[in-house]
Amino acid sequence: MNNVAKPRAIIIGAGLGGLLSAAKLATSGYEVEVFERLPMIGGRFTNIEYKGFALSTGALHMLPHGPTGPLAQMLKSVGADVNIVRSDPMAVIRLPLIDGDNDYTNGYKDIPFRNFSDPLSATNRLKIAVLMLTTRVFPPKKGSLEECFSRYVKDEWLVKLADSFCGWSLSLRGADTSAKEAFSIFSNLYRYSGSGVPIGGCKAVVDALVDVITSNGGTIHTGKDVSEILIENGKAVGILVDGAEHFSDLVISNIGHVETDRLYNNIEPSEEYQQYLEQLKKIKPSAGVKICLAADEPLIGHGGVLLTPYARRVNGINEVTNIDPNLAPPGKHLTVSHQCVQWDKLDELEQEIELGLQDIKEIFAGKKYEVLLIQSHSGEWPVNRSASGLDVNVKNSTPFKNLFIVGDGAKGEGGIEVEGIALGVANVMERIL
Amino acid sequence: MKIGKTCVGCAQCATFCKTDAIKVKGKALIMDVCIECGICAEYCPMKAIEVSI
Repeated sequence: MNNVAKPRAIIIGAGLGGLLSAAKLATSGYEVEVFERLPMIGGRFTNIEYKGFALSTGALHMLPHGPTGPLAQMLKSVGADVNIVRSDPMAVIRLPLIDGDNDYTNGYKDIPFRNFSDPLSATNRLKIAVLMLTTRVFPPKKGSLEECFSRYVKDEWLVKLADSFCGWSLSLRGADTSAKEAFSIFSNLYRYSGSGVPIGGCKAVVDALVDVITSNGGTIHTGKDVSEILIENGKAVGILVDGAEHFSDLVISNIGHVETDRLYNNIEPSEEYQQYLEQLKKIKPSAGVKICLAADEPLIGHGGVLLTPYARRVNGINEVTNIDPNLAPPGKHLTVSHQCVQWDKLDELEQEIELGLQDIKEIFAGKKYEVLLIQSHSGEWPVNRSASGLDVNVKNSTPFKNLFIVGDGAKGEGGIEVEGIALGVANVMERIL
Repeated sequence: MKIGKTCVGCAQCATFCKTDAIKVKGKALIMDVCIECGICAEYCPMKAIEVSI
């Protein structure tokens, strides 16, 4: 053993992005210290036990690209032991039983996601097939997904489907999702395939990462609020916690660009910094509502996503207990819906939730369930600190050396939710290691 | 206990409450059975809960 001191890394925030970064650095020779302001580890990606059910603090117990995605690959690369089971079917689309109906009141039929173009006319089916192929080679650069679809194939069904898919996976409407980002996501779906469930839920991932960090000499402090990032000569040199300075060679912030920016003091307003501030103005968090249901009999019956394009508000629903029964008490099921909340509807949140509850009544008509908990996310405790596609310009850098941003406010391109977090962390690690 | 304006309705408080005293629908609402233990305030990510005493 040599006596050369290890480089030191400080990580702000023990959410998924912070823990992934800490695990990567701890296994690459860094002395790692994580500071978390809450009394718990995992942020919006862990379990909370409620009435015997393993609810989650934010994320759904589902990894968008399952056991082969960027997150699964990163977990493997740090030696985090998590069993991720692929959903089968991966996604199913619920259509009204009677063609021409605009809701599920007269019953429904489910079709596999790969047959998504079935409700289109033969001509439009062909057009969409051509569009999906050409965009793989020439991805669109401008406009929203909805604009892109309507330019080539004008069809109400595609608008509904885009809203349902984007709402479920990004908590955005098709009209608010950039076409560039959407087609990056589609190509990632081809590359990495579809969703999977970590056995033990989100917390299994968090626990495995904590194990990796601590067994490699890292420390995680909870209940420690970072009040300042220390900057000297354009370089991050440490942080301030409870009035005490902690110095390091590297600072990684998992709390997003906007929130991180509030932690600097006395910064020289350089041109680069001003430009950075301009970019930050474009960042908006995404909002959504999750309704957690308890049922004695399965409401869906498989572990994939049920997309509900004909619902008023609910975009999709999953029932992970079909893959991991231990996420609910014996004999029970945990079914969770997600709905995007549009930015201009945040003032009418209660009404939006009411519409979601009505949707669920229709989608599961005749079935018995109980509403366990309704969780809303927006503002500074959002679905994503930066809505997908809005963080692609700032990426993971800051105007300061040795300071990087990870997490759902600095995702990698085409990365859905936690997969985007893993891609963002991978980008940072490529720069550092 | 008082719920402040910053509450987003994430319901984290309700899951840690030992007396099932918090109902959440877009915003948290504290019921009479609250024993003022303050655990909800500790776990609130928005620092939206003010302990009365």
